[in-house]
Amino acid sequence: MPGRLSRRAVAEYVATSLVEGKSKKLLFQQLAAYLINTQRTKELELIVRDIEFSLAEKGVIQASIVSAFDLTAETKKALEAFVKTQTKATQVSLSNMVDPSVLGGVKITVPGRELDQTVAHQLTVLKTRFKKA
Amino acid sequence: MSELSITELSKDLRDAIENLETDKQLDEVGVIIRIGDGVAWIHGLRSAGYSEVLNIETPKGIVEAFALNLLEDEIGAVLLGDDSAVKAGQTVRLKGTVLEVPVGPELLGRVVDPLGRAIDGGPAIKAKLTGLVEREAIGVMGRKSVFEPLMTGIISIDAMFPIGRGQRELIIGDRQTGKTAIAIDTMINQAKQDTGVVNVYVAIGQKFSKVARLVERLKTEGVMDQTIIVATSPSDPASLLYLAPYAATAMGEYFRDNGQHALMIYDDLTKHAVAYRQMSLLLRRPPGREAYPGDVFYLHSRLLERSAKLSDALGGGSLTALPIIETQAGDISAYIPTNVISITDGQIFLETDLFYQGIRPAISAGLSVSRVGGAAQTAGVKSVSSHLKLGLSQFRELASFAQFGSDLDDATKKQIDHGQRLTELLKQHQYQPAAIWQQVASLTAVNNGYFDSVAPSKIKDAQSALLTKLWADHKKEMTELDKGGKPDEAVNKLIETTARTVAKGFAD
Repeated sequence: MPGRLSRRAVAEYVATSLVEGKSKKLLFQQLAAYLINTQRTKELELIVRDIEFSLAEKGVIQASIVSAFDLTAETKKALEAFVKTQTKATQVSLSNMVDPSVLGGVKITVPGRELDQTVAHQLTVLKTRFKKA
Repeated sequence: MSELSITELSKDLRDAIENLETDKQLDEVGVIIRIGDGVAWIHGLRSAGYSEVLNIETPKGIVEAFALNLLEDEIGAVLLGDDSAVKAGQTVRLKGTVLEVPVGPELLGRVVDPLGRAIDGGPAIKAKLTGLVEREAIGVMGRKSVFEPLMTGIISIDAMFPIGRGQRELIIGDRQTGKTAIAIDTMINQAKQDTGVVNVYVAIGQKFSKVARLVERLKTEGVMDQTIIVATSPSDPASLLYLAPYAATAMGEYFRDNGQHALMIYDDLTKHAVAYRQMSLLLRRPPGREAYPGDVFYLHSRLLERSAKLSDALGGGSLTALPIIETQAGDISAYIPTNVISITDGQIFLETDLFYQGIRPAISAGLSVSRVGGAAQTAGVKSVSSHLKLGLSQFRELASFAQFGSDLDDATKKQIDHGQRLTELLKQHQYQPAAIWQQVASLTAVNNGYFDSVAPSKIKDAQSALLTKLWADHKKEMTELDKGGKPDEAVNKLIETTARTVAKGFAD
């Protein structure tokens, strides 16, 4: 029986295949069969995260933006440009989510990295700093 | 080429770092996938380093952790604070530094936790400097042989197992045999003899009531001003117990590196090993002997290797270590005791039997040793203690045989009588460390037979009378003797005359 593959190795295989343009349907069937066979279906969410990591390393990034209010098309464009500069990605797709609990500002999340400029985050940092002092 | 200024270079670099920090950048983040028993498993943070500090964002604020298991798919991190607010799914950021604690003279007289936060109810500690908790030990060329004495004030130790500055001397024994008492007396002696040695006492998983009593005692004895106490209680997370000795060593190293002398007391490393075992098992590292992880030797060797006598080029400072190990039923061949015995430069073994016979400090003459301290022993004490250890070991062996028969030859009887007087002389009350002149005078009186007419039960009274008389009548000579030099003929004669006079008053 072959040894247990790490999530990273599995994700790397899937990401490479996706970038090379292999059939998604076939690839996902293979992955599903492997996970069922090795009783690792519980790890699916983590494997998806790892696939995002591997895709990001290959220049394909799915970024998410959280803000307290809807962002204008112009702001979204500026944020997309910012993500491209920061990650040197060739392909960036943005998804915007409105969450009033962040109070203000934006939080940009790409696989494994994040820029949190929300008011809620700043308040948490301040709270910790005051606790220490 | 223009002249390169290191100060300017450093300033420019700092400015550049500050400017970089103000730029908005994407931080590397991970997410908690599992949490339990003070250990968090984190997905992401692929560039995290070993022992790097991580910040976990919780609704109650940021909780710090440090990375200990770097695996291909996840990181195992040990939390440094309350884990009640930490949940799966929370974001974790790299702090970009390894653990550091405040160091410097601002800590003197304070009781702190392993992260350098005051826990004595006093104001916050505003130290100017920080020290690395995990730091590499000084190399070979930066060291010097141990040669200066670190007097404990306990006659049996200073005479038979002398400790030098920069030495690592283990204090080992069962529970309730006086291990901590020896360490405390040594701390008190540094203040009484005005040696200038800074004490750093590390309480690893000790009851806070015991630490509070210790602080009170040190304040009473006037030692607290030159002491730092790093305290952890049994209710603290294992991570803090694990960090305590390393953090305290960083605090001691500040004094060592600035040409001063510091004394580290690790009370005790058995509990430290147990805390590390708990962390390792929770991190799913494979258990070895007695369920300790494979690197438990390295745990203590890298800690104790930081105690050293520095070369003159590095300022000549020193860090002396007195680690404490608790044995079970006197078994010094257990895993952790043998490890620490092999790391240190000698051990003071305390026996339960001696303790309950009233021989306190209950130091075993046969099993105790100081491997490097001989070179550091003061000439005065050395001149009166050359055959002490052998004589005492032989006496204890003879005494155990002698109790089975009454027909003993004169030589054996004499040896037993001498041994009994010596044993009585070496008994010492707690918190009463003896000065060098007191040690020399007392040992001279018993070794040379001036107290042979005194019954063993009256030896302590005779010793007390001798010391009082010597100080009253010959203060100048005794002050000179206290400097550590070998007593000359005149001083020896003086001690003999006084001892014989005193002995007459206590003769049977």
